[in-house]
Amino acid sequence: MQQRSFALFALILLLLVAACSSPSATQSPATPNATAPSQGVTLRWSVWGSPEELASHQAVADAFMQAHPSIKIVIEHTPWEGYHTKLKTIVASGDLSALPDVMFLGQDFNQYASEGVLENLTPWIERSGYDLNDYWPALIERATINGGIYGLQRDLDLRLLYYNKDLFDEAGIPYPDETWTWNNWAEAAKKLSIIEASGRIVRYGIGMETGKWGMLLAQSGGAYLDDPRNPSRCTLDTPESLRALNFYADLLNANAAMRPATLQQIGGDAGAFTQKQVAMIVQNASRAPTFGAAGMNFDVAPIPIPEGGRRVNNSGGARWVMSSASKHKEEAWTFLKWLQSANGGIDIYTKRGEIFPALRSVAQSPSFLQVDAAPRNRQAFVVEARNVSLFTFGDFPEFGELNDLIIEPNLQLIWSGQASVEQTVPEICRRVNEFLKQNGYPRS
Amino acid sequence: MTQKLSKRTRSLSLPGRQRTLFRWRPDQQWDGYLFVLPSLAGLVVFTAFPVIFSLVISLFDWNMIGKPRFVGFDNYAALFTRDIIFREVSWNTLIFLVSIVPIQMACSIMLALALNLRLRGNSVFRVVYYMPVITTIVAAAIMFQFIFDRNYGILSSVVWNLVERWSIPITPPDWLNHPGWAKVAVIILTLWKNIGFSAIVFLAALQSIPKELYEAAAIDGANVWHRFWTITLPMISSTTFFVFIILCIGAFQLFGESFILTRGGPGYATMTIVQYIYQSAFEFFRMGRASAVAWVLFAAVFVFTIIQWHLQRRWVYYETGER
Repeated sequence: MQQRSFALFALILLLLVAACSSPSATQSPATPNATAPSQGVTLRWSVWGSPEELASHQAVADAFMQAHPSIKIVIEHTPWEGYHTKLKTIVASGDLSALPDVMFLGQDFNQYASEGVLENLTPWIERSGYDLNDYWPALIERATINGGIYGLQRDLDLRLLYYNKDLFDEAGIPYPDETWTWNNWAEAAKKLSIIEASGRIVRYGIGMETGKWGMLLAQSGGAYLDDPRNPSRCTLDTPESLRALNFYADLLNANAAMRPATLQQIGGDAGAFTQKQVAMIVQNASRAPTFGAAGMNFDVAPIPIPEGGRRVNNSGGARWVMSSASKHKEEAWTFLKWLQSANGGIDIYTKRGEIFPALRSVAQSPSFLQVDAAPRNRQAFVVEARNVSLFTFGDFPEFGELNDLIIEPNLQLIWSGQASVEQTVPEICRRVNEFLKQNGYPRS
Repeated sequence: MTQKLSKRTRSLSLPGRQRTLFRWRPDQQWDGYLFVLPSLAGLVVFTAFPVIFSLVISLFDWNMIGKPRFVGFDNYAALFTRDIIFREVSWNTLIFLVSIVPIQMACSIMLALALNLRLRGNSVFRVVYYMPVITTIVAAAIMFQFIFDRNYGILSSVVWNLVERWSIPITPPDWLNHPGWAKVAVIILTLWKNIGFSAIVFLAALQSIPKELYEAAAIDGANVWHRFWTITLPMISSTTFFVFIILCIGAFQLFGESFILTRGGPGYATMTIVQYIYQSAFEFFRMGRASAVAWVLFAAVFVFTIIQWHLQRRWVYYETGER
């Protein structure tokens, strides 16, 4: 009896396993329904975004459909966390026809463009006479892969100097502006920091997160390597690089700037700024609503530059792309072109206060300059946007390892006040050069 | 017996067939394997195969995308000749091993003794001390980042208050910006997180000691100290050995505590071997080197454990007498 029930149990178990495994094997991936209405064409448009951003996307789609009654836009919304994974899964499945016609891309652009997932827009641009000169510098260069333009950038992820006006007023220091150099900056930072007699530091002048120091290096004309794509040697020991290294190390050691490890430890610069633990931070536009909601009296300014140095800024931002497998490329291009024209979609996003537009004419129009929200100094964005550049310190497969394993830990010793610039830099450069040699750089 | 069984099982098998696959014979062993097949398959697919695979990969140069290139024992040779970072992380791991293990052993035995007392509300304390063990390390590490802040952290605030009230000329350490203090911070977090586990194991061992031994000793006039050294410690020695081995292996594999608290910094001060494996494999895609380091770590743990296994004869007492 016992054995019989045991055999029965085994049989049931076997059936269960079979029952569980069979449906998943036969199930086909769900392909979104793309049937067009009787007249006109339906375009699938994929976006990510918070509920507020989704409302903006919907407003954009509605405005487009009003202007183009023959084209219907269907929004396919996925939250940011899963958005790029979802696209990647579709691409990896090999069935590109499952991709939406027009997509918003924040990652994987280079890979998709070079693997033929995206439509080369250059022929479309040439045929329709679309104006590329309205873009800020470097944006078209960024979107160009192997001679073709594969995406149109919507917004610019600019970094600006946020400052707490109340703290400046208290200390009797004029607000930062376009004319500020590193000297003004350092002087203000030292005055704004508060160190008690005991040695406890109540407030620092500047709070810059790990990695943002690179902008100072680019401003002074320095770099990690002589060539970011095919390096032959370390250039952290050049006078330009040393100037930036010493400037930042001095600020940290004078307690005028908060050490990056400390900033990370207390939860990042946004919290430190709202709690007045730092008076100035370097951040992008996305933080402004948070500070506004916290009731802070703040504004933004262009980031100070060294005497004789140059302005540089981050040229990153999200783009619109077209699927190379789209069945309605003509309509998709009409939509793309409209999204990225001064009186089209980009203007709606700008008016809703969500982005700094990638088009100059929109940025310099009332749509951007007269939005009724903090920060007030809208001109600061325009000043920085004029100088966006493709500054990158390394663009080769092993750079991540070189940076994380050799450059960053050693720089961190300087930022932590454990080593001096003079001691550390020759050692970094020796090891960087050794690493480059071991990995076969420069390649001919 | 045998006849009886086979008679009964015959009725189960299909009629007309004498030796089929499903015929039940008492001497059959393989149907036992059939039942453990699901977990055995899991073991092969998720453990045995990856282990062998990593051993093979450690002989190759492979970035997960391109074609693996055979390099022989070059990955291993590089670790011991020119890899400065491997030297750093090995040294750090060794420091964590020799600091965390003894401190945690001592603290958890003392804690277990305290929790074993018949005090009101002691069960509450047992829960409290075990809570860190089931706390997510990420949440715990982020909380400790705040605690270790030089200016506003709880630890430092105590010191700052002393400084202000009695003007004692001391300053609290800047924990995570100083290589030495950062190590101490990692040790503190690891102890806080794990002491509850070893204390519970010791507590179970303490409760299994027969009361008669203590009674007999007390009658003979042994004081608390004597009883602890001559009864308690020998009676829990097998548990002590178990905890010791588990803690050593845990210290060799230290990763989450240091990685989240300090990301290995400042400099290389708190970077551990496992962090080096993790970064090599999944951030820099050096699968060959990562596998080689993993196997070196395995060898170290293995040799260490073998040595301890042999040394235990001198100090571990098993009640069965053998061993």
